[in-house]
Amino acid sequence: MDDLVIGMAGSGGDGIVSAGESLISAATYEGYYAMMTKSFGSQVRGGESSCRVRLSTHRVLNPGGALDVAIALNWDDFLKFGAELPVAGTTIVIYESKTGVAPDALPLVGVAPREVFAVPIGELAKQGAGSDKAKNTVVLGLLAGWFGLARTSILRGLRKKFIKKGEALVAANEKAFQLGEQYAKEHPLATPRAMDAPGVQPGSRLLTDGNDMAAAAALFAGCEFFGGYPITPSTEVMQFFNREVWKYGGAVLQCEDEIAGIGAALGASFAGKKSMTSTSGPGLSLKSEIMGLASIAELPLVIIDVQRGGPSTGLPTKSEQSDLFAAAYSAHGDVLRPVLAPTSVADTFDVTVEAFNIAERYQTPVIILSDQEVAQRKETVDPIDPARFTIETRRVPTAAELTDYQRYRFTDDGVSPLSHPGMQGGNYQGAGIEHNERANPTASGKLHEQMNAKRFKKLAPLQRRKDLFHIDGNPKAPLALISWGSIAGVTREAYEAARKEGLDVKLLVPWLVYPVAEEIYRDFFSSVRSGFVVEQSYQGQLYRILRSYVEVPAGVVAFCRSGANPIQPGDVLAKLRTASLTLQEPAVQVPVED
Amino acid sequence: MTKTRSIDFSKLGLRDALDLATIIEEEAKERYQELADQMELHHNAAAAHFFRFMHDVEVIHERKLFERRTALFGKEPRTVDRGMIFDIEAPDYDSVRATMTPRQALHTALAAEVKAFEFFEASLPSVTDADVRELFTELRDEELEHQGLVQKQITALAPDDAITTEDMGDDPVAQ
Amino acid sequence: MPTSVAALAAYQSKDFKSDLKPIWCPGCGDFGVVQAIYRALAAIGRAPHDIAFVSGIGCSSRIPGYTTAYGFNSVHGRALPIAQGIKLANPDLLVLVASGDGDGFSIGGGHVPHAVRRNIDITYIVMDNQIYGLTKGQLSPTSPKGLKTVTSEYGSLEEPVNPLMYMLAYGAGFVGQGTPADMAGLADVIEQATRYPGFSFVNVQSPCVTFGEDDDQVKDHRANMKSLASLGHDPTDRLAAMGLAQGYGTDLHTGIFYKNPNPPPTFDAQMRVRQAELAPKALPRERILDMFVQR
Repeated sequence: MDDLVIGMAGSGGDGIVSAGESLISAATYEGYYAMMTKSFGSQVRGGESSCRVRLSTHRVLNPGGALDVAIALNWDDFLKFGAELPVAGTTIVIYESKTGVAPDALPLVGVAPREVFAVPIGELAKQGAGSDKAKNTVVLGLLAGWFGLARTSILRGLRKKFIKKGEALVAANEKAFQLGEQYAKEHPLATPRAMDAPGVQPGSRLLTDGNDMAAAAALFAGCEFFGGYPITPSTEVMQFFNREVWKYGGAVLQCEDEIAGIGAALGASFAGKKSMTSTSGPGLSLKSEIMGLASIAELPLVIIDVQRGGPSTGLPTKSEQSDLFAAAYSAHGDVLRPVLAPTSVADTFDVTVEAFNIAERYQTPVIILSDQEVAQRKETVDPIDPARFTIETRRVPTAAELTDYQRYRFTDDGVSPLSHPGMQGGNYQGAGIEHNERANPTASGKLHEQMNAKRFKKLAPLQRRKDLFHIDGNPKAPLALISWGSIAGVTREAYEAARKEGLDVKLLVPWLVYPVAEEIYRDFFSSVRSGFVVEQSYQGQLYRILRSYVEVPAGVVAFCRSGANPIQPGDVLAKLRTASLTLQEPAVQVPVED
Repeated sequence: MTKTRSIDFSKLGLRDALDLATIIEEEAKERYQELADQMELHHNAAAAHFFRFMHDVEVIHERKLFERRTALFGKEPRTVDRGMIFDIEAPDYDSVRATMTPRQALHTALAAEVKAFEFFEASLPSVTDADVRELFTELRDEELEHQGLVQKQITALAPDDAITTEDMGDDPVAQ
Repeated sequence: MPTSVAALAAYQSKDFKSDLKPIWCPGCGDFGVVQAIYRALAAIGRAPHDIAFVSGIGCSSRIPGYTTAYGFNSVHGRALPIAQGIKLANPDLLVLVASGDGDGFSIGGGHVPHAVRRNIDITYIVMDNQIYGLTKGQLSPTSPKGLKTVTSEYGSLEEPVNPLMYMLAYGAGFVGQGTPADMAGLADVIEQATRYPGFSFVNVQSPCVTFGEDDDQVKDHRANMKSLASLGHDPTDRLAAMGLAQGYGTDLHTGIFYKNPNPPPTFDAQMRVRQAELAPKALPRERILDMFVQR
């Protein structure tokens, strides 16, 4: 067995997510690829909680579809997560026998799981640790026993975690773990299933989530200032940055509101420092005026928007990809603002470094459109070679340019030299008001036209950045998939499965979601007769944006769902199969009747 | 003392005193119900169970007082209301936690009984009506008795697990 | 920088005056304010390129452009957050903020208490004309009750805010007031505010001649202003300052209401200490990701 998807649910007090953390940490250490997503009720403490952990010997692209293993400490809690923890005929169900539910009467409608185990989990915890509070540790023992998972590393992890509270707690948990393990051995699976051994040396891979990764990448890119305001699910970016950036001579300012957050960040950029802010939906709305200011003042700035369900407060803890319109178009006036979207924790690093590079090179705000799934899921990441990256800095004026400095000088590429306070001779007035080349205010229509042209022209090269697009498959394929953000991981898995089935399909995943790279899409669409733009939103926002810039073939449609309604690889694959069948039918001209 | 703002104990008659005692129990009953609901929402079944038990106890107290009042005064209308009392025997909102143990829940109830005892104790010197005096003394002593019962339960309780929910549970969740 | 007849100052007022011609209405109080700012900056003696002058939107917010300092004429109400970001990014800069009563106490009012409590070393100069001038004479947050304007045709029904009381109550370490009727006095207050190590505030009663109440406001100022020094006010006495500040709207007190005799450490100073303390713990940038390795 090379891939295992485990879903667990209980209440916050049961520590089921905590068990998931122990498992993924141990598995990563051992050399497995792993991914973990969490989902919660709306209570801050003690609500229902769940997690999915996917373990694999090869790279994991998404949290997986139907569960291989479902663990319910409590059925009410488990069922609250519905489609997020789908049980199928292939699932092995393990649950707390104390729930009193008979193995042949599980509250799962229309599903007959492959195997069912009613385990006295609380009882084993009591026997082992002297308290049923150690249920989550028993679960870890059960998993290790049945699926051959990371035994020594889990025990090592438990020791590391509990030793702060004393040796007795460590011993209690070890005993609970062993009882779980023993129970599994005494009640073997009908068909034994054990994970294959991982192929790499222990301790070589990274484990983190998208928010921490983005903050680390910002530090790597040389960001020295963060202004922001707490908002779920992006706050961890600020928290991580706050722990680290002071060491590098930088600072974090937790501001009084979202507007002040981006204002302070923009001020720091004006003063010459690489700078950022992070937010989520409602905050993005509030920040839009200052994003416009950054565009017209031509100042570098990176804004991370971790998308959640919207509009307004929406679903604060659930992932959605519905901020694309806002990211691309919010702020009034003629504005072109690059928007980049990571698709995984791993490429959050690349995308963040790229965002800083684009911001600095083109003196523009750049939005990183992350989403709750990428931002808060934990993922195993292969070591990243820092030598792969070039770190760009802004174009500062030369000594000659400073003798007669023109902040907004018209240049061939539209990028003008950018000075900052402290630089003698570079004095100018940054402004939200339209200005001439010397940065003096103007009401001239001619200058306004020229400055708009300059601000658009400088970003034109982005449209030719093929490295910001991942295109796979036969270039002449008639069937296509396009997907962005976290859902691209699901789409890619479907794409790979479809190729294995022999479907002639190709895939395009953009990091650069706006501006629309018209030529790249035109090329891609040239062979396409049918396909899907796969998105986690109600409207299919990328699909609609594409249609307003390029001729999208009529057979290409949006496949989209609102947030918190997961799209599984199987769903996409099913769509592809149907589309492929349609393509094989001979094209018949049907006479049109009025 | 805002709790008894509009009660002049020196003018309190037996009917009103019985009504007052009844609504004090009613308030406590409602509070226990509310705390039990809180505990349930936060998956603390043991504490929820205990608060429901306390709720049921208060229901009995309330009913007994009401029956006594009805026997003596029939359907005579009430002239005291909930606006005259506040937070007399009701357990404190700030004494509960999502992860509280049954022992901590018992202490919450104990503190409420002490509070009620103190109310009657403080009121008694102002009471002039002999029947009311007798009733309040009886109720005060009952509160003392209840304290003893709760205390006994605390003593009888098996020691708390060495492992706590704080040790094993998940971190709070940002919303 | 000490001045004497013998030593030539490093900078003169003219060094801070830009070539841009002010668009203010002739007679506007802001002409006097900008002159006072030039003079204060010359006295302080920092090079124009070491000064960042931030503003929002309004007549007053044009001021940075009329100086040779680095300016940032931003958006309505947001000058304070931007200025704080600038100062923290480069604490060596002298950072000034210009605002008006609408920009500073209406749309941007929410930022004020936080700028004060954070105590970043910046100077906040508000040109208070009790009216919206740029948009042609609407009611402002400091307009007196009963004022008839185009948006209060029958007289304002609201009490005005008292900027001096706000600032004192928020805990500002330096609160002063001036008027272009006394340019020397105004320059002096601005200079002292700028020298104060921490957040400082100067309210400037700067009349609007186009939409203001009467034609001779500056003359009235000259006739009625009272310097706080002449009243024997002790600027280290915060309670006395609050008593005097209550006269806002009727009395025109000039000078320093309050100056904390023991200025607490600024945010920026503490930031530098923290940066220095933590610097040894920094991983080399190319090894930042090591912290995610599972060991």
